[in-house]
Amino acid sequence: MTLRDLTSEAISEEELRKKLVGELGLDCQSCSRCLRCTSGCTSMKLLELKPHFIMNMVKLGLIEELLSSGTVWTCALCLKCKERCPQEASPSDLICLLRNLSFQKEENVPEGYLKVVSSILETGFIQGPMEVVSKEFEEYDRENLGLPKIIGPSGAFSDNLIELMSKGVE
Amino acid sequence: MSVAVYWGCMIPTVEYAYELSLRATLPRLGVNLVELNGSSCCGSPIKSVNRLAADYLALRNMAIAEKIGAQHLLVPCNGCYLSLVESLHNWNNDGKRRSEVEESLGREELALKGEVQLVHTIDFLHDVIGLEAVKAAVVKPLSSLKLVSHTGCHLLRPSNLLKVDDPEQPKKLNELITVIGAEALDYPECLDCCGAGLLLSHLESALSLSAAKLMVVQGLGVDGLIDSCPSCHMMFDAKQEASAKATGQKLSVPVLYYSQLLGLAMGLDEKTLGLHLNKSPVEKVLGRTVH
Repeated sequence: MTLRDLTSEAISEEELRKKLVGELGLDCQSCSRCLRCTSGCTSMKLLELKPHFIMNMVKLGLIEELLSSGTVWTCALCLKCKERCPQEASPSDLICLLRNLSFQKEENVPEGYLKVVSSILETGFIQGPMEVVSKEFEEYDRENLGLPKIIGPSGAFSDNLIELMSKGVE
Repeated sequence: MSVAVYWGCMIPTVEYAYELSLRATLPRLGVNLVELNGSSCCGSPIKSVNRLAADYLALRNMAIAEKIGAQHLLVPCNGCYLSLVESLHNWNNDGKRRSEVEESLGREELALKGEVQLVHTIDFLHDVIGLEAVKAAVVKPLSSLKLVSHTGCHLLRPSNLLKVDDPEQPKKLNELITVIGAEALDYPECLDCCGAGLLLSHLESALSLSAAKLMVVQGLGVDGLIDSCPSCHMMFDAKQEASAKATGQKLSVPVLYYSQLLGLAMGLDEKTLGLHLNKSPVEKVLGRTVH
């Protein structure tokens, strides 16, 4: 029997749920909705993130509904939920996995993350060395600060990264 | 002692003050820093798009450290430190992920044993160098300063993997401040997040979080906020003005890296410690350290 959310008409994706839970190595069934995660969540007040709600949505298999809402990108990654969950169910790990799935489906991924990915592929780092300006409007970079030149990755690095990134969670 | 150092992305590309102040202070504690040439991003931001690629990024940096024979790898960024610890845990406990990463490392002529000891600035100074040795390097105790500290989320949680400090009541950074002569106050919001984790997706909310914490610190009437992570520091220092603007607040909180504070206590000059690069009003602190 397929579960259907009568408000949104979303249908439970049982296979994908099993896959996610298997990949994660923990069972979100163990969440007893004590709300300890949500009550201490950094993003709850600002962005209405409710980690227990995400646990429950995955439990019901309503995964596409979660991804299309973009709610998994409101997490500040402070890891308080992971630390404090009495069932060791770790909503933050689940959120991370759902983000991976979002990226794989090219759905709702914030542009900032896409920029970081292309910079790492190109240079090995999230950004190249920047010029900074002091409060006295003097310009500084690594060279005039006397800092050594950065020697980044080379060789098989970017090919390795491209290959690993093509391996998804689904 | 010789210690390999993995700077990550933020420190060598924009948070130069942290790098300058570590390079200035650590040799005075008998530490010789060895560079990790060929290193890359730690994988922290990539964990959100592909966990396997994040593991590869983290572990290749550790493998480079082992290749050059390092016993200790100093990781001064909280985000990088958590990434390396977490990916090493995956390496030790998930055979499938391990073999995929191993294959990639092999193509770079790298192999990981997982034996290099990972340390962050805080536990390196507190536990490896030791409080007594830090104290002995002080020539100008900062006894006129009343400060608060921010250890940062990714050095405390999850505590089943991170053993740097108590996850709910961290005390090591406060002890490091106290040992160089300043006063370190406890405050209830010490665990509040800096907001950097939202920078790539929700900028305004990220700035609201940094502003909220800075407002609390400002209300305490202390001389400044001390941190030890480039992402947290960027939120509190470089983005202090933007945080104030985004929330319609007036903020004027001096924010220093612990290594900068330590350098002041060692009698080092401001430029050597990169204090001219801080955007927050650090001159208020410097004015109070002149005897």
